[in-house]
Amino acid sequence: MLELKNLSVHYGPKRVVSEVDLTLAPGQTLGLAGESGSGKSTVAMSVLRLLPKAARVQGEILLDGDDVRTMSWGRLRAVRWASASIVFQGAMHSLNPVRRVGDQIAEPMRLHGTRGGVTELLEQVELPREKARAYPHELSGGQRQRVMIAMALACGPRLVIADEPTTALDVVVQAQVLAVLKRLVAEQDLGLLMISHDLSVLAETCDDLAVMHRGEVVERGRTREVIANPRHPHTAALTAAFPVIGDPAHRWAEPAAAPEPLLRVRDLVVDYGRTRAVDGVDLTIGRGEIVALVGQSGSGKTTLARTIMGLRKPSSGRVIFDGAEVARTGKALKAFRRQVQLVLQDPSSALNPRHTVFDAVAEGLRVHGLADDQEALVTAAVERAELRPASLYLEALPHELSGGQQQRVVIAGALVLQPRLLVADEPVASLDASVRGEIVALLLRLRRELGLASLIITHDLGLAWQIADRVAVMHQGKIVEQGSVEQVLLTPAHDYTRALLRAVPQV
Amino acid sequence: MSRFDRTGLAGAGVLAVAALVALVAPLLIDAEALDVTRVTAGAWQAPGAGHWLGTDHTGRSVALLLAQGTGTSLFVGLTAAILSVGIGTLVGIVSGHFGGLLAGALLRVTDFFLVLPALVLAIALSTVLPRGLGTIVLAIGLTSWPSTARMVRAQTLTIEARPFVERARALGGGHGHVIARHVVPSVVPLVLVNATLAVASAIVAESTLAFLGLGDPTRISWGAMLHQAQLHGAVPQQAWWYLLPPGLAIVVVVLAFTLVGRALEAVVTPKR
Repeated sequence: MLELKNLSVHYGPKRVVSEVDLTLAPGQTLGLAGESGSGKSTVAMSVLRLLPKAARVQGEILLDGDDVRTMSWGRLRAVRWASASIVFQGAMHSLNPVRRVGDQIAEPMRLHGTRGGVTELLEQVELPREKARAYPHELSGGQRQRVMIAMALACGPRLVIADEPTTALDVVVQAQVLAVLKRLVAEQDLGLLMISHDLSVLAETCDDLAVMHRGEVVERGRTREVIANPRHPHTAALTAAFPVIGDPAHRWAEPAAAPEPLLRVRDLVVDYGRTRAVDGVDLTIGRGEIVALVGQSGSGKTTLARTIMGLRKPSSGRVIFDGAEVARTGKALKAFRRQVQLVLQDPSSALNPRHTVFDAVAEGLRVHGLADDQEALVTAAVERAELRPASLYLEALPHELSGGQQQRVVIAGALVLQPRLLVADEPVASLDASVRGEIVALLLRLRRELGLASLIITHDLGLAWQIADRVAVMHQGKIVEQGSVEQVLLTPAHDYTRALLRAVPQV
Repeated sequence: MSRFDRTGLAGAGVLAVAALVALVAPLLIDAEALDVTRVTAGAWQAPGAGHWLGTDHTGRSVALLLAQGTGTSLFVGLTAAILSVGIGTLVGIVSGHFGGLLAGALLRVTDFFLVLPALVLAIALSTVLPRGLGTIVLAIGLTSWPSTARMVRAQTLTIEARPFVERARALGGGHGHVIARHVVPSVVPLVLVNATLAVASAIVAESTLAFLGLGDPTRISWGAMLHQAQLHGAVPQQAWWYLLPPGLAIVVVVLAFTLVGRALEAVVTPKR
């Protein structure tokens, strides 16, 4: 059905895809794995000739025997969506915010004169028919993504291309969306080309797997075999990056003796208007201890972290740091913030694009008036964060660095104040698989060398298994279960923890 | 070089010439040549060898009046624009950063000035306050800041929503730090562009006020020239040379400022 022969794509002199050969038959599911910049999305977009004008495409792209490259404009329009359609990443941005989703699903049907009803399509993706009248912002992330799938199926295509369909979703919703996609592929005998950086997602849905690296397909075969016995070092790096819960080899944190408490949260309540985001939470973090706070999006874990940092006022309850209650205002709060530092999820937005690395790292020093010897302190912090030699990076602007390097700069900016607790909100979620492992190792090394305690907020149970000493599971504002990693993740006591664990895709 | 660069440079060239004329004219022009009691030429003379642009109703040279008026128009335009952009930036940043009751109050004030016709308000102000250049600057500056305030507030809100501002707060940075290190640097380019465009509209506003007879009667400006021309019957005299030059001068300088503003806008807007 789809056949790529010797496909190469150049942007100017830069080759982003080189000599890719792929075939896909009806009913077949093919996963395309790779990191950002590996060319996997470019391959997908080339199938429907959706690449920008600057792209130079060579080779053959045969869709049902016709070469997409040489198709007439009219024929291409007929082929798009009716023969092959795409489920785009980030459904929030791919849906028009001012039109009802039902109209948007119907749009390709109207353009192609396809018969059929929006209601049936919504039923196929397990959405109630009333949702057709909803606007995108009235739907949750998982519902929006299902609308995107319904839209892709509107004209009865035989090939569906899914570009990172679940990337922004948390585990439970991801599992639901993947289940819908899998069922539809099986029922309607569709060909599915699924693109993801996450091998476990591809393992869940695809029979065959191709791994891309720097524009080339470096390995392909049956998914199980590729993941079980990776032959190419890059594939091995990708598989290693996704920890298997319960596998001692993926447990990187060394066992620590029970430490004395550094931070204690007592009966903390935070309200947003009438909504209770955090509902009576008790949490303790010991000196040099790494605690993972896991839960779905909306469970209140980020609000809890913000409140601990003093960025939000709690409605009631206490935060005790090092034996003293944390002040809410003034000098005492400022002094507390020297001790506790924040690492955010997306490093590219956590750095001011106008500030150099030096400025970004030195910002904390300037805030606290530690002006003397700035240069030496910044250099030391940057090198601690493993950007060596520091002189190479100090004058760089954030956009000149890779995602992993940016995250190291954010960590260096936290380290420069010599904090005792690091609060990290999804510290590796937006990083590539190979970088992820390095950042996890860095956090563990900082704990070992500096005795730095961390509160890691994540929806990724694998990360918790890899790094944490203790896990606290948060659900609807409450901590429903906490204990040592082994205890919580291997013998979960609460139903919600079990549900979370079930939703984790199995490699 | 893009189209914007070229038109921007042309605008900058025109402005350079205008600024030169404004600076040099008062030094070179003899005070007697503009004194109605001492001029020797006849009234309403058409352009010719003696007077390039003819003479007005009192026999003064229109060319000299035009040159003398450049300074007033540019001065009022620049100072009024600085005043208006200054107020607008301050209100915008304060209301965007602090929020709450203060922002609510500031925004209602902004809305008040926004819905009131600026010209009517300026006329009211300049009739109440003592006559003079300062009054005109004040009248224009106080009535034209709301759009800048709205824009700066929007930009401030955008920046404050970015995670790097949250990071700065978590580092312990207070209001001063966030405003000085993150908000102001990102607002400044926008404000600069806005200022050049504000100069253009301030010059038009000054001319309008002067044309309506609300200007400083002791000073020559382009608007005042048009006022005089209209008052003393340049139209029945068919003295086009008294009406056209100040009108065209306003158009050319305003256009020049607009072109420079547009070019700057293209420079500071980040490309994707």
